[in-house]
Amino acid sequence: MSVRPLLEVRGLSVRFQGLLALDSVDMTVPPGQIRGLIGPNGAGKTTLFNCLTGFYRPTGGSILLDGVRIDGMPMHHVAALGVARTFQNIRLFANMTVIENVLVGAHRTIPVGGPDQLRPRRRHEQRLAEVAAQLRGLPGGVVSSLVEIAGALVRPPAWIRAEREAVERARRLLEAVGLRGRENELARNLPYGDQRRLELARALASRPRLLLLDEPTAGMNPGETLAMMDLIRRLREEYGLTIILIEHQMRVVMGICEEVTVLDYGRKIAEGPPEAVQRDPAVIEAYLGTKFARQLRGGHGTP
Amino acid sequence: MPDLRLWLKVPPRRDVARRLLPAAAVVLFALVPAVPFFTDPWLRVFFLVGLYVVLGLGLNIVVGFAGLLDLGYVAFFAAGAYLMGILTSPQSPVDLRLEFWVILPLALLLGALVGLLLGLPVLPLRGDYLAIVTLGFGEIIRILLVNLRDITGGSQGLAAIEKPPVPGWQRIDEPWQWYYVILVTAVAVAFLSARLRDARIGRAWEAIREDEDVAAAMGIDTVKYKLLAFATGAAVGSVGGVLFASYIGFINPTSFTLQVSINVLAVVIIGGMGNTWGVVFGAFILIGVPELLQFRETSDVLERLGWLRTALDAPFAALDALAPFGVWRVPEPETWGRLVADKRFIIYGALLVAVMVARPGGLFPSRRRKLEFEAPPPSEVAEPSALAAGGSQ
Ligand SMILES: Nc1ncnc2c1ncn2[C@@H]1O[C@H](COP(=O)(O)OP(=O)(O)O)[C@@H](O)[C@H]1O
Ligand SMILES: [Mg+2]
Repeated sequence: MSVRPLLEVRGLSVRFQGLLALDSVDMTVPPGQIRGLIGPNGAGKTTLFNCLTGFYRPTGGSILLDGVRIDGMPMHHVAALGVARTFQNIRLFANMTVIENVLVGAHRTIPVGGPDQLRPRRRHEQRLAEVAAQLRGLPGGVVSSLVEIAGALVRPPAWIRAEREAVERARRLLEAVGLRGRENELARNLPYGDQRRLELARALASRPRLLLLDEPTAGMNPGETLAMMDLIRRLREEYGLTIILIEHQMRVVMGICEEVTVLDYGRKIAEGPPEAVQRDPAVIEAYLGTKFARQLRGGHGTP
Repeated sequence: MPDLRLWLKVPPRRDVARRLLPAAAVVLFALVPAVPFFTDPWLRVFFLVGLYVVLGLGLNIVVGFAGLLDLGYVAFFAAGAYLMGILTSPQSPVDLRLEFWVILPLALLLGALVGLLLGLPVLPLRGDYLAIVTLGFGEIIRILLVNLRDITGGSQGLAAIEKPPVPGWQRIDEPWQWYYVILVTAVAVAFLSARLRDARIGRAWEAIREDEDVAAAMGIDTVKYKLLAFATGAAVGSVGGVLFASYIGFINPTSFTLQVSINVLAVVIIGGMGNTWGVVFGAFILIGVPELLQFRETSDVLERLGWLRTALDAPFAALDALAPFGVWRVPEPETWGRLVADKRFIIYGALLVAVMVARPGGLFPSRRRKLEFEAPPPSEVAEPSALAAGGSQ
């Protein structure tokens, strides 16, 4: 392979007491790909996402994002390196408005707090940032905090400009996901489909390189599902994203994924183009007796 | 230039009323000392109310914005008060001859430091555990005050604490002068905390309150922002302490009990977390009213309710006449005010429970500030490809 993979997962294992939720999973995702991640309920898909975002510390293996090891890193550092996600069970900031949700997603991109929004892209930059952080230690945090608080209280022109740009960007993102005009509504008051779209906008606001979507079409009707697929494809093009998509509807997987990884009981049982995976006996076996099996057999099964 | 309005937060015309209201209220408050009816005892009560507004707004940063239940807020109040006491009381061994106006910023700093001190060990704790540990922290500080006798005067406390000097004038001492000091402080704290709330830091706090894990996944350094919430809230509490010590002139550990923490928390919760007017209202109801009930003026008014007392007392009087033992009788109306004031903690408790059941958001739940994000009319945002514009970062 000529291009360096954006994501490299090697021998990743996660054990919860007795349960091996992930068992030596390997996965390599090239930049720009839309990768499907499928498997029966409880296969470990969400657990894999939780490792990729730093929420779980894996018990074994490693995760490299563009060559930088991110497993075990604090969540906000992983986010700073360009990993963003949505949640299977929608987790918006329910009592904040729609645009505030997006602005929280944009937290790191709003330059008001000094050195903490360094966004290292390459390995040596990452090292540099770490060293700088160590050298500065607490004082660095204190300085950036004071800068942030003073800025918020005094509101100098630079602060106003930063805030203005952030809101403008947030509004464009909301427009991109089809939530224009809903800026001031409380997130909790949005209908279900809009909440999913808002989660997407919030994730995009952090300017991610790797976007993890956990069942983005769950609970959507066929029309909404089609619109969401369309949106995901468009966003990939416009923002140059790499996307990993957990999905249960075969039609979606076939429609937009270039490659699919299949998990079952924490192990990777198949990987490849969707058509090949669909015919894989191990996959059919794993799904035996589930609704999904019919979809597999039927090719473009009904949702 | 419609967008400029948006940025400078110039309110749309129909919102002017909402902006003018606070300004009008502040003007009204400023006129209070000029009204002859409000004698010194009234102004002293208002000072206390104002002090609790300041403390409530400070605690609101921790509890209302960041969602961290802090039951040890009195510790920061005590830190400021004792800083003022130790630095200016003749009874303390420290004699730096610092004046109030120098101590005020020092107290801000000290409060923030004590806030960090509390914040560091309790960071991993959530919810109930956090409440218990902060409660313990408040008690530790109080016990320290009792035991560090050489510096704090122990349970005797410190007396003759300095009043703030005004250059070219006298020291602030009269109740009306203190009234203005607390009014200015409360307005400043309200203004500044609203600015924090409407900035990136405020959104980070609220995100942490809503869902800490997701906030972290969005790139927010939750440890840092929780510490900042503690430090900022504590700094405000400490400033309140300086004002209190200087106003009262005498402090000892009995002024810094758990009851203070609970009062401040009750002020915040009753009024509605996150809402400035809620805090003002809560402070007035919980702190002001019990004091006012004990006024002679109140007794004078109540005295005229003799008929009501007779009516209420009728069944008890009848029972008293019949029963061989003494029966409780409804007391004289002029004592009712004091009676209610004495039982205020029962009433607070009932009020708190009632509010939490009926209106979990408080009496005045914080309204989302919408209008600063008021969308411009559609024609102004029409872009050929909004997406492309968003992508060209
Ligand atoms: N925090 C946790 N503690 C214990 N078990 C967990 C935890 N998270 C996930 N699991 C278990 O790990 C397995 C994989 O879960 P998950 O990754 O959510 O599956 P899915 O593929 O449906 O997303 C399940 O058996 C689940 O019960
Ligand atoms: Mg899942």
